[in-house]
Amino acid sequence: MTSMKRFIMLLALILLPILPGCGIGFEAGSSQPVTLTLWHNYGGQLKDTMDEMIDEFNETVGKKEGIIVSVTSISGSATLHEKLTMAAHGDPGAPSLPDITTVYPKTALILAEKGLLADLDEQFTRKELSAYIPQFIEEGRLADGGLYVFPIAKSTEVLFVNKTLFDRFSRDTGARIEDLQSFEGIIRTASLYYEWTDRQTPDIPNDGKMFYMPDSIFNLFLVGCRQLGAEFTADGQLNLNTPQHKKVWDFYFTPAVMGQVAVFDGYATDLAKTGDIVCSTGSTAGVSFFSPTVTYADNTSEPIELAILPYPVFEGGKKVAIQRGAGMSVIKSTREKEHLAGIFLKWFTSPENNMRFVSSTGYFPVTVEAFGERMSKEMEKITDPAVKNLLRVSRIMQKDYEFCIPPLFEGVDELEEQYKAQIMDAASRTRDAYVEFSRSMDSVTAYENASRGVYEDFILRFP
Amino acid sequence: MKNNVFEKIRMLREAAQKTGDLGMPMGLRLFLLLTVLVLTIILGVIAILFINGTFTAGLSESKTIVESELQHASQGISKQYEYLSIHTINLSEELSRSIEKNANNMGISLSNLQDHPERLEELISREFDRILVCLQKSQSSGAFFILDATVNPALEKAKYSRAGLYIKNMEPNIVSSSTPNYIVLRGSPAISRNHKLSLHTQWSMEFDISDAPYYYRPIEAAESDKQLKLSRLYYWCPALKIPNTSEEVMLCSVPLIDSRGNVFGVCGLEVSAMLFKLSNMPNNCIYTRIFYTLSPIDKDLIKLDQSMFAGCYSARILSRDQTLNFSENKYSFYSYTEKNHCRFLGIHKPVRLYPEGSAFADEQWVVAVMVPEEDVVTSITRLNLLLIGSLMLLFVLGVAVSFVLSQRFLKPITEGLDMIKSNDLNAASKTKIPEIDGLIEYLALHNQELYEKARQENISLVILDEFLENTRKLSPAERSVFDLYLKGHTAKEISETLCLSINTIKTHSKRIYTKLNVASREELLLYHSLLKEIGKEIE
Repeated sequence: MTSMKRFIMLLALILLPILPGCGIGFEAGSSQPVTLTLWHNYGGQLKDTMDEMIDEFNETVGKKEGIIVSVTSISGSATLHEKLTMAAHGDPGAPSLPDITTVYPKTALILAEKGLLADLDEQFTRKELSAYIPQFIEEGRLADGGLYVFPIAKSTEVLFVNKTLFDRFSRDTGARIEDLQSFEGIIRTASLYYEWTDRQTPDIPNDGKMFYMPDSIFNLFLVGCRQLGAEFTADGQLNLNTPQHKKVWDFYFTPAVMGQVAVFDGYATDLAKTGDIVCSTGSTAGVSFFSPTVTYADNTSEPIELAILPYPVFEGGKKVAIQRGAGMSVIKSTREKEHLAGIFLKWFTSPENNMRFVSSTGYFPVTVEAFGERMSKEMEKITDPAVKNLLRVSRIMQKDYEFCIPPLFEGVDELEEQYKAQIMDAASRTRDAYVEFSRSMDSVTAYENASRGVYEDFILRFP
Repeated sequence: MKNNVFEKIRMLREAAQKTGDLGMPMGLRLFLLLTVLVLTIILGVIAILFINGTFTAGLSESKTIVESELQHASQGISKQYEYLSIHTINLSEELSRSIEKNANNMGISLSNLQDHPERLEELISREFDRILVCLQKSQSSGAFFILDATVNPALEKAKYSRAGLYIKNMEPNIVSSSTPNYIVLRGSPAISRNHKLSLHTQWSMEFDISDAPYYYRPIEAAESDKQLKLSRLYYWCPALKIPNTSEEVMLCSVPLIDSRGNVFGVCGLEVSAMLFKLSNMPNNCIYTRIFYTLSPIDKDLIKLDQSMFAGCYSARILSRDQTLNFSENKYSFYSYTEKNHCRFLGIHKPVRLYPEGSAFADEQWVVAVMVPEEDVVTSITRLNLLLIGSLMLLFVLGVAVSFVLSQRFLKPITEGLDMIKSNDLNAASKTKIPEIDGLIEYLALHNQELYEKARQENISLVILDEFLENTRKLSPAERSVFDLYLKGHTAKEISETLCLSINTIKTHSKRIYTKLNVASREELLLYHSLLKEIGKEIE
């Protein structure tokens, strides 16, 4: 081949890609932003905070970096878990996975096992990760050590008390709110409350009202056992044959059968909205779900004051509380999308934004800076008294409490559901029997008859 | 230093002068010729692209894309809203019949519903399944009905409080789910607990109708014209945020009418902002920030605060503004401006939410497809820059090719000239250009002939010089005869002229021939003529 032929061929190679350009190939270039879809579980008032922050990101950093974060689902954490697992398993009717999603570790475990999550170690340098509380980062590392769940906010559980209602009850009975610092105190007060409410309608016997509800029964047993010095789970199974478990059982089961503790397959806030309970243990993140008013059956309503107390402790037990909270995971896709998702996470969890998010939602921040001095300063600016009170209690708990994280092993999700369903079923059926027996005998005998063998049967269901 | 600079300038000027004097080199002439040719072609291409509208093709193509999107959006939204309208009408018919029947069984007249507030919960509870089934079948994000009564008429807020039930499906886009995410937004908590549904975070027991066009308007329409069918009474309430909630929705509501024509409430279906967004996502990936709106319009105003949005672009930012003005512009896109500042380009078309004869037929709605102006401009600019860049590259390549070609074209000519300038043309190699090789061959041959001729001419001159020298050796008598010979006379004529015998003449002739070293009179005359040719005269 002569040099002239080589030259002509080279020229042709250069020109060929250019010439079709004259044929008006119309397409967008890299200047077009990339859309990142986001699923989250921050509904209600939290939705407004998320919307505002995402709008701000899109208009600032997103605009500069060519990112549009688009929320395509806002679900409760249970529904989000179901949607994600449906999508992970490729179930019919399942939606496509988003680019970023809030996720609890148990869900992340399923997604990571399917190889669907991006390792966020690739998006953060060691220096960047050192800005976050190390324990929170470690919690996001799954089996292979990869960082699959990035911490955005953490929560613990506290005791929420309808102080308006409690004060009314207290004025008549002398009940003290300090008694609610222990689970035993809660039982005693619940019994007192039941009697007090029963007295309100002398013509109707045994119509006392419920006082307390644990939002998560599983967490109650997990933390209760730990407070009493035992482990609720061991070797990927429930560890129920302990005196500590029996003690927690008695705390929940007995007043539940007596109608003093709610057996309700829903959120405690539902009962709190209608004044059907006075207090509940639940996530700090649930603070925004408490209505500032209580509406009664006749549609009358009254504003209420929400008191927040540290998580109750069994008498003689250690101060232990749960620490949990959804993180954000990035679904494995292209390197570009994963990189852009990393930019969003960095922005969202920067001390300033992290503090902004937690100060309106009741979560803990996750960065060292936000958790420390900044949190103290920001707390002063918070206008919502409930959130302000919550963060104050949270800080007290951070100093005084030992925190445990939910167990994470294969099948823990189903085990948790099963445990909750079985104990509620046992409590409901025993309650029905108790009500029936109560018609013809005193309450102690009625309880003994109704609850005989129930615990033993229950234990046998979890070999 | 300064002198050196001046000296250099002077030298350059002289060189240029010299070059000018010599004329432009052939290589440069050829290069410039080819460059002009390339430039002409490129200008021609630009002219053709300009004439056939290539530089504005991006805009045309954008419009085609946006029109296609509009068609897609319009069809999808119309279908979705028509489907929901039908379901709402059916729900109204079923609910009206069922509530009337149940009320009759309870001994309640629907015209005096408020007289029996204690029976409302039961009346409402009985319709729970119907509402839930309608919610599932219609694939809407919420279903509700509101009765014209409140459970506690003694309350101060009773004037604007109405009992009813509002169930939301938080995940209407999931086709199958083991745990459908239904929650109760409005209604008695007893009903939700009986059916194991949670209360919405921003739950209230009753509806606040103080600012609820979805309640008033269909009721007013039904009461003002009793003859109108339900299919002419359904009302699409512009997008709103349900008071004291974060729920951004559009509601389709139809009056509840008993068999006597008594209007006793409304029922309806909801399209949440999320449902609208997810079920009407733009198709194309050309403009990432493209979005649809379903908006009520008033003359040239689009009411954004009453619109639904679909698309990845953060439409919430838009909804903070109250209105967008629209006008056609020179690009044939509509400009959607906010406070005289163009923010979006796009198009819109009317969409019919109501049939002819509807009580709300005058309400004008449009489906609009919009793209931020900067996205369109950037895209078209980028396309044109690509075109111009390509042409520039072509030009540069053309110039480079001209240079190379002119060099390559001239190289054999230069080599040929060098060969011609060399002494030995026969030893010259072939240039492989026939004309030049032919010229070299010709010149080589011609040179040879010239050489031979010159050599021959050299020999002749020596002989002629000898001949001329010998003429001086002739005696006078022989000279006389010789001269007459030169004049063309024959021997006989010379003998007569000189009055000498012919023999004498012959003797002289022999001596002449001997002295001049010739053999005959003809040879002698040849010498004479040769001498004349070279300009020499015999003395």
